Amino acid sequence: MAGPERAVADLVVPLDYTYNYRVGPYLEKYIQELGNKKIMAVKCPKCDKVAVPPREICGWCRAKMDEWVEVGPDGTVENFTIAHVWLNKGAVERIDKPKVIAMVMLDGATVPLAGWLEAEPSSVKKGMKVKAVFKEPAENALTDLSHFEPV
Amino acid sequence: MAVERKVAIVGVRQLNAADSKKPRERLLFELVKGLFDEKGLTRHDIDTFVLCSNDFQAGHTISNVFEDDPVGAFMKDETKVEADGIWAATYALQRILCGKYDTALVVGNSQGGSVFRPYLIMDYTMSPVYERQLGIMNELSSAALQARALLDRYGYSEDVLDQIAARSLSNAAMNPDAFNGKKGTTADMVAKSAYLYEPLKEMHCYPMTDGFCALLIASEEKAKSLSDNPVWIKGVGDSIDSFYAERDVVKPNSVKLAGERAYKMAGITAKDIDIAEVSAKFAHQEPIICEGLGLFAEGSAADVASKGLADIAGDMPVNPSGGALGAYAFSAGGMVRLAECYKQLTGTAGDIQVSGAKTAIAHGQDGLCMQHNGVMVVSTEEG
Repeated sequence: MAGPERAVADLVVPLDYTYNYRVGPYLEKYIQELGNKKIMAVKCPKCDKVAVPPREICGWCRAKMDEWVEVGPDGTVENFTIAHVWLNKGAVERIDKPKVIAMVMLDGATVPLAGWLEAEPSSVKKGMKVKAVFKEPAENALTDLSHFEPV
Repeated sequence: MAVERKVAIVGVRQLNAADSKKPRERLLFELVKGLFDEKGLTRHDIDTFVLCSNDFQAGHTISNVFEDDPVGAFMKDETKVEADGIWAATYALQRILCGKYDTALVVGNSQGGSVFRPYLIMDYTMSPVYERQLGIMNELSSAALQARALLDRYGYSEDVLDQIAARSLSNAAMNPDAFNGKKGTTADMVAKSAYLYEPLKEMHCYPMTDGFCALLIASEEKAKSLSDNPVWIKGVGDSIDSFYAERDVVKPNSVKLAGERAYKMAGITAKDIDIAEVSAKFAHQEPIICEGLGLFAEGSAADVASKGLADIAGDMPVNPSGGALGAYAFSAGGMVRLAECYKQLTGTAGDIQVSGAKTAIAHGQDGLCMQHNGVMVVSTEEG
């Protein structure tokens, strides 16, 4: 009844596709303005939530959000984790120097933004003031908001 | 709305391993054949098959296409759920409730232990144009942020998470259907395991699992002919939340709503629950789920841990099976929680048996930080 337990062949089958997505007008504008060192968010006309990254429909009250507002570049650490590993295509790999991921509430926003925080891990506290650091020259990519650093 | 047709679980079969060593099709055949032989059934006794698997996990489109033959569903009524198995069981319940079917076989599986990497699948659930471009959020970093938020909210020390993991892993060691148990695991032992993303440690996490589970579900008349002790499905609940940054990950509304809906349908309250089997993929998610379901007071996790309230012999046993820390396979996960409830309510749970349990709740989840939650209330009482 039972089949053989010892494998005579282990097949490794990669699955590799490349997708060329369009990001839509909201993320398009967000990325373009990052190049001008501006973090753009949208404000809900109904419930006043300010979402970043910007989204067309409010996640809470479903209203169309079309008022653009600049948020940050300063903000406050709401939550954080110290990374001792990274995931390489789903495989856990240790890193030599721990890195900090922070959820930053940018001044003027009501939704925290996840980002790298370049700071000594032991110095990071909830409520700590940080500011956005932009890539120079800009590359027209989400990573133009490079990371945060303590104020 | 009450359940208008009585429906029961009348048989379960599961297999969990770090490496199941055989092809998926062979294991599915052995799983279902085992259940059929135990019940004296053939595939022709099954009115509808509900399979539960995922194309990314199988690595090819239509993941159920090669599952139909080994489970006996070829040329039969067959459908698939591509989410956690709690929803496959719910779908089977709905199909029987519609009146067209009297028996359903639910079969869930995935091989995250030996074939694919579960954390990568979770990456693929995120926005390809935002999160996946940045590479900051993944299943572990998001779980760590959720764990940190929990500790901050209620002022817990990390020891609370270590105690939850220690209980789960110790329970799992007594459960032959779990494979990741470690007999007599203490909080100190958990505390010494390495950090992944603080405060998340290796021993707080679900193990990479090959998991297979089958549930046989039947309408009243069939259930009574197929089993001397059917486990009746009394209520189901389901709810989905907004994305992780826009919701309270410590107090998820979707867990609360799912629980309330199931209790209302079952005509009970949280106080009537004798056992909970919840899909806490990480130690910190156990109190989040249990408090959302009203099984413990909000912010009581330190108290629950120190007084042993969730122990097998405690006031409100949670995951006597060891839960997801003992074994957790995508797709099969929530079904395994149901199978563990079935074992408890039929008195077949062996060393992890909770005495006198009549009503249990099983929980399943999907998404980053438990974005989607589903529960099922089951009972020995036909009602």
